[in-house]
Amino acid sequence: MKFAELLTAEQVKRVHEASLWVLENVGILAHNPRAHQVFKSHGCSVDDDGLVKFPPAVVDLYMKACPPSFTFRGRDPRFDHTIPDDGPAFVTGSSAPNVVDPLTGTERRATSADIAAIAFLINELDGFDIFSISTLAEDAPAGQFSLSRFYPALKNCLKPVRSNTPNMDDLRQVLKLGELIAGGAEAYRERPIINHHYCPMVSPLTMDVDSTDAVLYLTERGLPVYTTVVPNAGLTAPMTLLGTLVVGNAEFLAISVFQQMVLEGTPVIYASLPTVADMRSGAYAPGAIETGILAMAQAQLGRLYGVPTGGYIGLTNAHSNDAQSGYETGMNTLAAVTAGATLLNTGGLLSSLMAFDFAKAVIDDEIALMNKRVVRGMDFSEENLALNVIAEVGPGGDFMKSKHTKSLMKTTAVLPRVADRGMRAHWEQNGRPVAHDRALERARSILQGSNPAVWSSELDERIRSEFPGIVAGDALPLGVPLA
Amino acid sequence: MADEAVFDQLRDAIIDQDQDAVLAKVEEALGAGIDPRDVISKGLLPGLNVIGERFECEEIFLPELMQAALAFQAAMAILEPKIRELGGDQAKKGKIVLGTVKGDLHSIGKNILRLMFETSGYEVYDLGIDVDLFKFVDKAAEVGADVIAMSALLTTTLVGQRDVIEALKGQGTRDKYKIIIGGGATTEQWAESIGADGWSANAYDAVNLVGRLVS
Repeated sequence: MKFAELLTAEQVKRVHEASLWVLENVGILAHNPRAHQVFKSHGCSVDDDGLVKFPPAVVDLYMKACPPSFTFRGRDPRFDHTIPDDGPAFVTGSSAPNVVDPLTGTERRATSADIAAIAFLINELDGFDIFSISTLAEDAPAGQFSLSRFYPALKNCLKPVRSNTPNMDDLRQVLKLGELIAGGAEAYRERPIINHHYCPMVSPLTMDVDSTDAVLYLTERGLPVYTTVVPNAGLTAPMTLLGTLVVGNAEFLAISVFQQMVLEGTPVIYASLPTVADMRSGAYAPGAIETGILAMAQAQLGRLYGVPTGGYIGLTNAHSNDAQSGYETGMNTLAAVTAGATLLNTGGLLSSLMAFDFAKAVIDDEIALMNKRVVRGMDFSEENLALNVIAEVGPGGDFMKSKHTKSLMKTTAVLPRVADRGMRAHWEQNGRPVAHDRALERARSILQGSNPAVWSSELDERIRSEFPGIVAGDALPLGVPLA
Repeated sequence: MADEAVFDQLRDAIIDQDQDAVLAKVEEALGAGIDPRDVISKGLLPGLNVIGERFECEEIFLPELMQAALAFQAAMAILEPKIRELGGDQAKKGKIVLGTVKGDLHSIGKNILRLMFETSGYEVYDLGIDVDLFKFVDKAAEVGADVIAMSALLTTTLVGQRDVIEALKGQGTRDKYKIIIGGGATTEQWAESIGADGWSANAYDAVNLVGRLVS
């Protein structure tokens, strides 16, 4: 498809130059001493406070080393997804502390059993390509904070699993889990199935300690890791979309250049969660349309750098599966995909990343399928002009009777499962179910079945003996009260 | 009557969020021999009250609230030494130790909170960002804090708030302090579950919360 563009080529170039100016003159404040060494030994200046200044030639040099694509790997290679080549990857939102209980409809702390159920659900929903571990696990035993998230996620999902870890101990533990699943350290290096994500850049123009350590560790080893930049106009970025674009772009350049300095040719994603704060209160507004607008501009910059783009696009501030939730997720994802973004951390979260909702994930699956259909576009071909069929049926005819119709009726349009296209009377007879009710029902029916993704009991035994006390990690049918 | 006019101008300068005008009017008032305590209570504070009311009804936005508070703070930097010279002291309402928990470098919400507390008459000890649990515990003991306030924006760093409370319990000093939490990753339920004394959705409401807790 021909991408939607907000900026001219000249304007894209100017934003790039402006970002270089920021990196050269304002700089990035890096808190990690090991990062100082990396920057210093590759042509940047670092002062005593850790302020890093980037000569433009250094930025240009290392940006040229960024590969054009990024591959997410799953337990089953059939689900591997490379962006941008394989088209938009729809991903769940991640690390919410809470879940909306499917039985009571009230918010509570999420557990490892929730993660298992969500992993199963995402494995079964065709619109999702990657499972970013949606919640935390309140029941995590001491010393197993991240393990209690990755274990139930990987056990119940064949699609690529993506998430973060808060410290190096957790990261090593999670990598050990990956090696056990792969059948050894060497097998894991060949097919690393844990896709790591961090936010080492803290807006404005700052680089942290812990996430930087993790990015450095993984990049050195050639393991898949990408980062997200998160400028927030009015609070951590200027009160213009353009100024916010520049701050976010400078941050993206800084971390990408850092990764190339550590290991040239490391795959990156231009991932972002750009927002404009609601200045009436300072409220965080990741569902606002400005996020979509900024994602569109970033997609253009990504093409300039030759890297895939996207990020947390399609989140919502809404607290229930209502109209706000739908229009915020729908409008922002549509804006981003039409501009060429191919990573969309969209699914399942309400209350700006605070709570997972099973029905929201099912609705977002449908939004993902609709977006992918937009990207597929008109399927332009001589054949699809269907001139012979038009001539054959003729004026006043009926295309229902044509074989042509029968052969394409299942693939031309998205066939939604949540959207209701029946008559009003039928809807009333059924007790007026709203989209949320229909979506929750679908989640229930999926989770009632057994999960084909769960691995063998032999592998499970090996993992459980390696990590004594680990959570059960099994998905329960929805609506079963938790112990 | 002349004094009344100066108080009105001080109040209006705060409402206009005009730091230059506030400072000029403060100097003018002091030059005219007006008691610095009256400058605060009859000029600046009535202005801040209007700002607060207007913020609550969304007539003004957060940056305007912030800039009025910053103007007030700049004025206080001049007025407080004068009050001490006169042998008096602006009695503080309480001591607050605050910071963003370990692993979390987000400072903006915490900085707004500090400003709100300072302009509301509290003595604030800001430990900054990425604050180790022992720093909270030690600083609170050192200054004899009334309140410990902890911020977390990242859901993965949230547990740092619980760790501090648990450490205080371990020491047997939990009940010496009122503990409040806030930040984008927190909820009222989380506050209850870790045994905090209070939670606030934003910095502005936190001032009322602390007012209730320490009164």
